[in-house]
Amino acid sequence: MARTYNGIRELRADTVTINDWGGSSMAAAEQYPKKCMGRTDRTFSQGLQCQQINSVMALLSMEDAAFVVHSPLGCAGCCSMANDWFRVGQIHRGSFALKNARVLVSNLDERDIVHGGEAKLREALHLAWERYTPKLIFVFTSCASGIIADDVDAISTEVNDELPYTKIIPIHCEGFKSKVCASGYDAAFLAITKYVLADEPRGETIPGLLNLFAPPTVSYMDQLEIERILGAIGIETNYIPFYSSLEKIQKLSRAQGSTAICKVFADEFMKELEDRYGIPYSHTIMPIGTRNTDRWLRGVAQIMDKEAEAEVYIARERETCLPLVEDLRAKLTGKRVFICGGTGRSFAAAALIDDFGMKLVGMETPTYDDEAQPDVEKLNRIHGDFVLDVANMMPFEQVNLLKKLKPDVFIGVPVWAARLGLPTTHVLDIKRPTMGYRNLVYLGSKIAAQIENPGYNVKIAAHAHLPYKESWYESDAFKFIQ
Amino acid sequence: MSKILENPHGNCALGGANATLSALRRVIPIYHSGPGCAMQTTAGEASQGSLRLPYYTSYTAIPSTNMLEREVVFGGEKKLEKHLEGALEILDADAFFVLTGCTAGIIGDDVKSVAQRFQDQGHPVYAVETAGFLGESYRGHEIAWNALFDNIVEKNPSARDDNLVNVLGVAPYHDPYFEGSLEEITRLLNKLGLRVNTFFAHGQGLPEVRGSSSAALNIILSPWLLKSIAEQYKKSFGIPSLRFAGAPLGATDTAAFLCAVGTALGKEQEVKDVIASEEEWYYRYLETGIGLQSWRRFSIVGESANVIPIMRFLANDYSFTPEIAICTDVLFRSEDKAFVTERLTNLEYAQPPEIVFTGDQWEINQALARCPDAALLIGSTNEREFAMSHGMQFFLACYPNTERLIYNRSCAGYRGALTLIEDIYSNL
Repeated sequence: MARTYNGIRELRADTVTINDWGGSSMAAAEQYPKKCMGRTDRTFSQGLQCQQINSVMALLSMEDAAFVVHSPLGCAGCCSMANDWFRVGQIHRGSFALKNARVLVSNLDERDIVHGGEAKLREALHLAWERYTPKLIFVFTSCASGIIADDVDAISTEVNDELPYTKIIPIHCEGFKSKVCASGYDAAFLAITKYVLADEPRGETIPGLLNLFAPPTVSYMDQLEIERILGAIGIETNYIPFYSSLEKIQKLSRAQGSTAICKVFADEFMKELEDRYGIPYSHTIMPIGTRNTDRWLRGVAQIMDKEAEAEVYIARERETCLPLVEDLRAKLTGKRVFICGGTGRSFAAAALIDDFGMKLVGMETPTYDDEAQPDVEKLNRIHGDFVLDVANMMPFEQVNLLKKLKPDVFIGVPVWAARLGLPTTHVLDIKRPTMGYRNLVYLGSKIAAQIENPGYNVKIAAHAHLPYKESWYESDAFKFIQ
Repeated sequence: MSKILENPHGNCALGGANATLSALRRVIPIYHSGPGCAMQTTAGEASQGSLRLPYYTSYTAIPSTNMLEREVVFGGEKKLEKHLEGALEILDADAFFVLTGCTAGIIGDDVKSVAQRFQDQGHPVYAVETAGFLGESYRGHEIAWNALFDNIVEKNPSARDDNLVNVLGVAPYHDPYFEGSLEEITRLLNKLGLRVNTFFAHGQGLPEVRGSSSAALNIILSPWLLKSIAEQYKKSFGIPSLRFAGAPLGATDTAAFLCAVGTALGKEQEVKDVIASEEEWYYRYLETGIGLQSWRRFSIVGESANVIPIMRFLANDYSFTPEIAICTDVLFRSEDKAFVTERLTNLEYAQPPEIVFTGDQWEINQALARCPDAALLIGSTNEREFAMSHGMQFFLACYPNTERLIYNRSCAGYRGALTLIEDIYSNL
């Protein structure tokens, strides 16, 4: 079956994608199915994350690969960040001879904007090949290359024919094409489908092999925990695409099933693998907290025919884990929480805090779509009504809500909440563990420690500068959503 | 024509302009750009000098129109206008600078007219064309200064203040040591009885920019940055400039720096006294650490404004042997290259190093490989790989930096020199 998904998440035919909305979670759950949340936008907003950042983050740790960013220098800013993660990941994996990702930027200038940058792209591809003879060369487009309409596909194909032993994979991740940064993950997978899988014969199925898709924000500690859990019930993983390789991509067709660690990562790609190879997939929730991990693992077990093993395992892990969680529960029960996170993490974390008896009072999540609906319904059942801000951070709304809701703890990027003196902690911590059964305790302790000892934030708040007028805090947080 | 660059040691014009303007107290940049520019320029510029974030607005808190396909096709001026209204309603700032990204630059939105409409109503809103494709970070720094000169600097200064100087050329949130170095330079100039406009340190900002036209002297701490601005200060206000190749580091270059400033401002006697007391203090420390480090051959990679002071200090004052100096910033004028070369080769005792101008990682690594005797590599995060794979000691002192948090450690003057020696030793 030919799928026609073009990689722009808000244009998916089978779901309505809302990016700008604010109000009560009960109202959201009621209005969304009736399609009456409205096609809203913000008349004032702060910086978003563009899809190119996600495409780059997803792939920058690939082995035997080089990367060409067809853009002015600024759009390689995220490569510097992703390269840092790549290097941290190398250290976590025991490799101290640090390698940089090989990123060549075509460095479009004013002249290229006028005359086109295709010659430079061609040269960058040749340079990447001459310098590193990579098996894969990924090309990332940019707003600039997209608007001047450089024919990146044609150049990539032509140069690919000139170069032996390499695959050139152009990724259409122009920032202006989507408000949903997760589109960039899809753009990366669409390109892999078109330029790698299309040439690959279907391999023989390896029983017990699972394609495990993980975004680059999953720490190595979390990878180990997830692999440990799956290993314990006899599932072997093909971990993609972090620290992955062409060989692992070629192995995709041989898996018995697929799953993802994040809800907006590879979900469309897993549908593609099902269509193309008949590989079933499980798409449930991020395995953060016991409840979510149970649900995630049961989903995987079902497609891998390991349901009985999974139940035995879940029972055993719960036995080990729950007494430890009980200790934390004593410290955390009744604490009011505000969560700001990516689509996957925010929902998972919001369910998780129930493990500790905590109460959700507000949540920021970047998109609301068909996938979000059951999660919000579930959270409404657990926590009752809470404030839902469909926003990719939007710190101005966040601080407004925090001032009014006065939660006991804030979970998310701490830069602004800390200046209000609130205890803060992360669930997106690429350098430390968060997921699965055993890391739950680590995460819970982290939250408890911050509530117990908020000294840094309390003291900095007395001297901190947030750029908002006092009157803003009195205003409706959602007044610019129209 | 710009060059293809591997693992670039720099961000775009927008990134440079943003890092500069958001370092001014209570100034807020507003991006009229694509949806990722706020993050890209924070990830690649404003947080990669010292890992710090500009204190007032940075990262995803930068107001941004997040231009999508609709604006690409139909134009984004209306959206910008709306965003400015919102910004004025909720944000508390002394000035707003609209900065354009590539998208606005290519489709040709008339941001200046939009800003003008707000100015006409008495709002401090200024528009600056900073599309990424206009150049690299330093170009953005210069564009920002042009905007400050045009819009903020007082055009009719009342009287020359003989004891006020402007320090220019240190790019905030780009130079890893910018704030500490500005603090050390200020400390020394204060001892001469001077007051200092650093603009980006000590909580300074627009008042100092405004008052910069009554200063007695512009002190530029970069081998080539801000030449046209210096010209404008001279032409408009008769303020002369003294240019140094970077923030002076160590006793020799700092003394030369102080002498030059003192001569320009008629403070020769004060300079003598300051140098004497600082050197007394400084050498007493050096005496207590003799023989701790063996003398080393070293290679250095970074922007010329960092490479020159560090290399000269280690060669002239610490008897390390420079093997190669690689400057990663883009120098267009041959006179700039000549000045940089002169500073790197005109050494007291040491043999001059090989000099290379490139910001391309492959070419940098090839050049470094020509110097197998070097035991120490000073560079940016990008060069750690080379050092580790060649068994060299590595010291991170240049942009981009994704590893070291630097608040106000300095790499200038007497105190910065001691700190640098401490850091190199402790990093063994």
